[in-house]
Amino acid sequence: MAHVWPIGGGKGGSGKSFITSSLGRLSAELGKKTLIIDLDLGAANLHTLAGVPDPEKGFSDFIRKKIPLLEDTVVTTPCANLFLISGAHDNFDIANLPYEQKLKTLRAIAKLDFDRILLDLGAGTSFNTLDFFLISQNGIFITTPEPTSVENVYRLIRSIYFRRIRYCFNVTDFNELEVEAERQFGDGSFNKPDNLMKVIARTNPKKYAQLNNEFSAFRFKLIINQVRKHDNAALGLQMSRMIEKHLGLNLEFLGNVAYDEHVHDAICQQVSFLERYPYTKTASDLHELGKQIVESAGEQLTLRYL
Amino acid sequence: MRKDFDQLNYYEMLDITPNAVPYEIRHAYNAALQLYHPGSLVSYSFFSERERREILALIEKAYQTLINDQLRQEYDDELIRRGEIEARDESAPEVKKPVSVFHISRSPYVRTVFVDGDALKNRISQSQVIKDILARNELSGEDLKQIRTELGLTVEQIAEETKIRVNHIRSIEGGQAQQLPPTVFLKGFVKSYLKCLGLESVEELSVRYMNTVSGLK
Repeated sequence: MAHVWPIGGGKGGSGKSFITSSLGRLSAELGKKTLIIDLDLGAANLHTLAGVPDPEKGFSDFIRKKIPLLEDTVVTTPCANLFLISGAHDNFDIANLPYEQKLKTLRAIAKLDFDRILLDLGAGTSFNTLDFFLISQNGIFITTPEPTSVENVYRLIRSIYFRRIRYCFNVTDFNELEVEAERQFGDGSFNKPDNLMKVIARTNPKKYAQLNNEFSAFRFKLIINQVRKHDNAALGLQMSRMIEKHLGLNLEFLGNVAYDEHVHDAICQQVSFLERYPYTKTASDLHELGKQIVESAGEQLTLRYL
Repeated sequence: MRKDFDQLNYYEMLDITPNAVPYEIRHAYNAALQLYHPGSLVSYSFFSERERREILALIEKAYQTLINDQLRQEYDDELIRRGEIEARDESAPEVKKPVSVFHISRSPYVRTVFVDGDALKNRISQSQVIKDILARNELSGEDLKQIRTELGLTVEQIAEETKIRVNHIRSIEGGQAQQLPPTVFLKGFVKSYLKCLGLESVEELSVRYMNTVSGLK
């Protein structure tokens, strides 16, 4: 089964698509059959970064049932071994993917036959993003060293936590849970996933054990993008320490990616940054990350969708 | 179950071990402040104002307790009583020894003290072979090699002492014209080689060698 790496980050413009395309390219160069999927529904960009400005088919064809199988919507890219499911010609209501369609997509992704699958997720914390993120234990968060971006990434992490808890309960049970949390921990605390977990621990130990197992199985990763020279290089480590201490989630810091004006140039010229500027700090940072993606072996559990 | 921050003991709060020394405690305290101080990017938006104040108060309390020997003693006793940490080892802490800054994992460098000038001279004066060689008018590479083996020295030792590369020394001993280093260098090499062997009248011997070699050419 493929290793699925959802890449999300909360805030727009933090470099999710750029990193997805770069990591995809590197993993392909290192000999893995790699697929990148544009799941930034309604704001798709990945095809441009992957060097396929006008793909003949895409994700929408699968949703509209024009192409019955997801694997048939895959297009090749100029880079050998790298494949793409593009969102270029998505229909205009795709951003609001209905639940059944989403489930169908998730099942189809889990069955695809590739060595590595990278999902480029959109900004924000819509259910689509959260559910696609939860398809794998190896979700990667991307943030830049700016308060706005850090804020959004924390929000995303908490939303995912919340979403996972929410999955375990039906509407009435969950409402009861919220009321109970509010009663115990005061106003607004139903919105804190860690408080909810505390209530579950007391009211429903079985579910708690199950959830706890699942959360401890998560191996979330963190990449800090657009790190300038004077930025705090230890930010990633400190963030992962905070998350582990206060939310109890594993968040492994993968590395910093240096800021470089040339990324902008490469995107404007529509050429691959890694090919055009291979000897920049940014490129070497990306190479480091690419190696980690390729070398990560071990078990990978895709949740619930098989 | 994972404990809340306010349930952690002071050591856990600061991420240190119960036998941390004051330096480590101060360091951990600074690191914690970097995480939780109000302007910190790391915890931006992660806590509400109130939560942040509570955490900072706890960290301050932890630091003030642990950095004060007497308070720390009392706190430790409390923790030991609750079974959270193990009883202290009362023996005096092991004295730290200086550690080396560099770890170059070469085989240990032992400088060969072999050119004990007097000993060599002694041997030279005793050896009939060497006397014979030095009595001749010519001095070939083969002769040098013989002197060297007579003195019980290896090529590597010579190379170490003179800083001349081993292959140069071999070719000097071999005496084959095409393998020798350029004459300019050769002169110097031969002189230091002879000197290293502990021979006297190096100048004269080296001229003898050069003549012999140039005769080969």
